[in-house]
Amino acid sequence: MCRSMLAILFIISLVLAVLAQTPATSAAAGKCLTCHKEKTPGLYQQWYGSAHALHKVTCLDCHRAESGDADGFIHYDVRIATLVTPTDCGRCHKREAAEVGASYHATAGLILESQDAYLAHVLAGAPVAILGCESCHGGKVKLDPGSPNRLHKESWPNSGIGRLNPDGSKGACNACHPRHLFSKAQARQPEACGKCHLGPDHPQKEVYEESKHGNTYYTNLDAMNLKADRWVVGADYSAAPTCATCHMAASTRVQATHDVGQRIYWTLRPPVSAAKDNAGPRRVAMKNVCAACHGQVFVNGHFHQYDAAVRLYNDKFARPATDILALITKNKLLERPASFGNDIEWIYWELWHHEGRRARHGASMMGPDYTWWHGFYEVAKHFYFELIPEARRYNNPEVNAFIDRLLRDDPMHRWVNERTDGLKRQIRSGELQEYYRRFFAAGK
Amino acid sequence: MTLIARYRAFVRGLSVNPVGRAGVVLTTSSFLTFLFMELLRLLGVLTNAYIGLITYLLLPTLFVVGLALIPLGWWLYRKARARADRELLAERFSPDAVAPRPGGSRLFVTVVVFTLVNILFLTAASMRMLTFMDTPVFCGTACHKVMHPEWATYQVSPHARVRCVDCHVGEGTGALVSSKLNGARQMFLAMFNAYERPVPTPVRQLRPARETCEKCHWPDKFYGYRQQVRVHYGMDRDSTPRYTTLNLKIDTGEAAGHAGIHWHVAEANAVRYASAEDERQEMLWVEVRQLDGTWRRFARRGEQAAPTPADWQRTLDCVDCHNRVTHIYEEPEVAVDERMRRGLMDRSLPFVRREVLGALLPDYPDREAAMAGIAARLEGAYARLLPEMTAAQRQALERTITAAQAVYNRNIHPLMAVRWGTYPSHLDHRHDGGCFRCHNQELVDSTGAAVSHDCTLCHSFLAYGSAGPYQFLETPTDNDSEAAMHRYLREEFLKQGE
Repeated sequence: MCRSMLAILFIISLVLAVLAQTPATSAAAGKCLTCHKEKTPGLYQQWYGSAHALHKVTCLDCHRAESGDADGFIHYDVRIATLVTPTDCGRCHKREAAEVGASYHATAGLILESQDAYLAHVLAGAPVAILGCESCHGGKVKLDPGSPNRLHKESWPNSGIGRLNPDGSKGACNACHPRHLFSKAQARQPEACGKCHLGPDHPQKEVYEESKHGNTYYTNLDAMNLKADRWVVGADYSAAPTCATCHMAASTRVQATHDVGQRIYWTLRPPVSAAKDNAGPRRVAMKNVCAACHGQVFVNGHFHQYDAAVRLYNDKFARPATDILALITKNKLLERPASFGNDIEWIYWELWHHEGRRARHGASMMGPDYTWWHGFYEVAKHFYFELIPEARRYNNPEVNAFIDRLLRDDPMHRWVNERTDGLKRQIRSGELQEYYRRFFAAGK
Repeated sequence: MTLIARYRAFVRGLSVNPVGRAGVVLTTSSFLTFLFMELLRLLGVLTNAYIGLITYLLLPTLFVVGLALIPLGWWLYRKARARADRELLAERFSPDAVAPRPGGSRLFVTVVVFTLVNILFLTAASMRMLTFMDTPVFCGTACHKVMHPEWATYQVSPHARVRCVDCHVGEGTGALVSSKLNGARQMFLAMFNAYERPVPTPVRQLRPARETCEKCHWPDKFYGYRQQVRVHYGMDRDSTPRYTTLNLKIDTGEAAGHAGIHWHVAEANAVRYASAEDERQEMLWVEVRQLDGTWRRFARRGEQAAPTPADWQRTLDCVDCHNRVTHIYEEPEVAVDERMRRGLMDRSLPFVRREVLGALLPDYPDREAAMAGIAARLEGAYARLLPEMTAAQRQALERTITAAQAVYNRNIHPLMAVRWGTYPSHLDHRHDGGCFRCHNQELVDSTGAAVSHDCTLCHSFLAYGSAGPYQFLETPTDNDSEAAMHRYLREEFLKQGE
C-alpha cells in the first residue's frame, strides 16, 4: 500500500517536473531559432529540412549542457555547449552511439603515438598535424576559458571520426552525418567515406570507383533509394552496394551496425596483415551482405582469391622486408638516429604503408588496377630494386647473408638470378604457379 | 525725336567698336528675353521648372557681362583714338545730347535713368536667382551628371516635397555664405572633372539633425509601435511569398513606459561613439550616459582603453540610423520583392524573381547596355521557359521588363560608380550593418557585458518567413517544425500589451 502510494507520488512529481521543464526549454529553443534564422540562415535551413526538425528535435535537445560540463557556457541565459558528442546524440540514438563507441573508428583519435603523427609533426609541423591528420582522425578537444564557446581555436573546428571529447566520449557523428541536415542519404554514399579513405596510402574510394560495384552505383544513382528510412540491400534497393552497404548497412541476412569494422576480418593496415579476433564470424557477416546479390560459390571464390593475395603479400614481401629492417636496426647500421632520417626507412615505409596497402585494398574490393599496377607491381619493383640495393649498401655480413639466402633459396625470389627463357618455360608448364598454390590452400 | 529714335541714337553712340557693340547687343537682348520669358511664365505658358536655369541664371549673367563690355569698349576706343572723353562724346552723340543743361546733359540723364533701371532689374533678377537656386530643380539638375543619382532617388523619396536646401543648407546668412562657397568649390571640381565617384558618404558638413529633421519629426512625437509587413518571394517556380511581419517598438520610452528604438534620442538619454576613420561603419566604442552623468563605454574586446582620435567621435543623432531617408538606394532583392508585391513584376511568369534578379545583378558598363541587357536576358529566359507564350504572358513579360529597367535606373548609376550596395542603409541590420554596428557580441563594457542584441529588443514578430502575414497570432500547431519559435514569439508579442 505504502509502496504503491509512494510510486504514484513519484510518478506525479515526475510528470510535474516534466511539465515544468517543457515550456521553459521550448521557450529557450524558440529564442534560439528566432535569432539563428537570421544570423546563420544556412544552418537554420539545413536543420529545417532535416528529420530532426520534422520530429521537433530543436537546438537544445543536442546543444544543452549541464552545469558540470567543461565545455558548457551561458549563451543568452541558457547553458549550452557548441560541441555535440556521441554522448549527446546517444541520448536518442542509443544503439548507434554504443556501436560507434566500440568501433575501430572511435580509436582513430589515438594516433599521437603513431608513426603517421610522428611524421606529420617532424616533417611538416603542428598546423599540418591539425589540418592534415586530425581532420580525419579527430584530435583531442582542447578547452580555452577565454574563448566565447570555451573551445580552443587549435582544436575547433574538428569533426574527425575519433575526436577525443571533453566528456570522455570518442568520435563525432557529424564526420559522416554532417550538421545540420544529418542526412542518412549522405552517409550512405561513398563520398561520405571518401573524405578520408582515399589517396596514396588507402585509396578505398578510388578502388571502389574502379570496381564494378562503384561503376554500377554511379550508373544507377537514381535507383539507390538513398533517402529511404529503411535501407536493406536486396529488399529496398539492389542496384549496387556502397561502402555503407557492405560495411554497415543491413542486408536481408545481417543486421545494420555502426561498428564499421565488424565485417572486416583481415587487418590491411599494418606492415604484415593478420587475421583479426573473431575472424570467422566477421567473415560470415560480410558474406551475408554479398549473398544478397551473389551466389554462394561466387562469394566463396572471391574470398578464396582475396585471402591468397594477402598471404602472398605477407610472405613474399612484407615479412622479408620487415626482417631486413630489423637486422639493420639490430646491427645499428642506420646513420641518422631519428626515425625517418634514413633512406631505407622511407623505402620500407612506402612499401607497406602506401604500395602494400594499395595492393591489399585493391584485392579486397575487386580493383584490378590497384591490385596490380598501383599495388603489387610497385611493391615488387621497390622491394627488388630499391630496398635490397639500399640494404646491401650497408655491406653488413648478416644483412647480406639474409638477402643472398632469400634470393637463392626462396622459389618465389629465385627468378632474379635465372634465365628468361627458362622462367617462361616454367610459367607455361605451370611450374612457377605451383610455388604459390599454398596461399590458396592455407587456412582452408 | 521719338523715344525709340533717341534710344537708337544712344546705343549707336555706345557701339564704338565690336566690343562695345557686343555689350549693347548682349545687354539689350538678354534684358528683353528675360522680360519675355517672365511674361510667358506669368501668363502660364512656360511651366517647365528647368527654364529657370536660363531665365534666372543664364540671362542675368549675360546681362552683367554685356554691361561690363560697354565701358570696356569705350576704354579701348579712347585708347585707340588718343583723345579726351569730351571730344569723343561730341563726336559720337548729337550736340543737343551733350549740351550742358541744368541737372546734367541729356546724355547724362539717359545714363542715370538706365543705371537706375539696371539696378532695379539686377536686384530683381538676383532675388529670383537666389530663390531659384533654393529650388530642388537647381540642385538636382545644374550639375546634372554628378547629382543624377541623388536627384533620381530624391524624386521618389518620402521627402520629395521637402527642398534640398532645407536639410543641406539651412537658414541664416552664415549658412547661405558657406553653402555658396562650398557650391563654388564644387563648381570647380565639376568643371575640372575632379569630383569623387561615387560621392563619398557620410556627408560631414550636413547640418545637425536637431536643426533639420526635428523641425518636423521631434522626439516627443514618437510613440508606441509600428507594424511592418515584409514580403519575400522565393526563387521557386511560383515565386512563393513568405511573410515577415514586425511590430517595431519605436517609442522613446518616456511616454509609453516601454522603451523602444527612439530611446537613443529621448531627452534624458545620450549616446556617443567613435568609428574607424569616422566612416560610421565599424565601431571602436560606443558610450551611454549614465544617470550620474558618467559614460559607460562598450568597446571591442580587449581594446577598452585604446585612445581614439577626437574627430572620429560623434554624438548619435537621427542620421546615424536614418542615413538614407531621402536618397534611398534599394537592395536588389528588396527592390524586386517590392515591385512584385505591387504587381509590377508578374508572378504568373515562372521563376520571375530568380530571372529578374539574374537580369539586374550583372555589372553592365553603362545605362544603354543595361537597358538592352535586362531586356535581352529576360526575353531569352522566357523564350526557354515559355516556348509557347500566350498574349497575356507576353504582356506580363513586357511589363516586368519595364519594371526591371526602372529598378535599375533608380538604383544604379554607372557614370557616378553607384552600384548595388554602394550606399548601404543603416536602418536595419542587413549584412550585420545598421543596428548591429553597435548591438553585437563584440562591443562589451568593463564587466564583459555586451550591448543588448536580443531579436525582440526592438521588434516583435507576427510572422517570420511564414506562409501568412499574421501566422503567429494563430495557435501553434504541433506538426509544425517551428512550433517552439512560434510559441515563443507569440507570447513575446502578446506580453507587449501588459
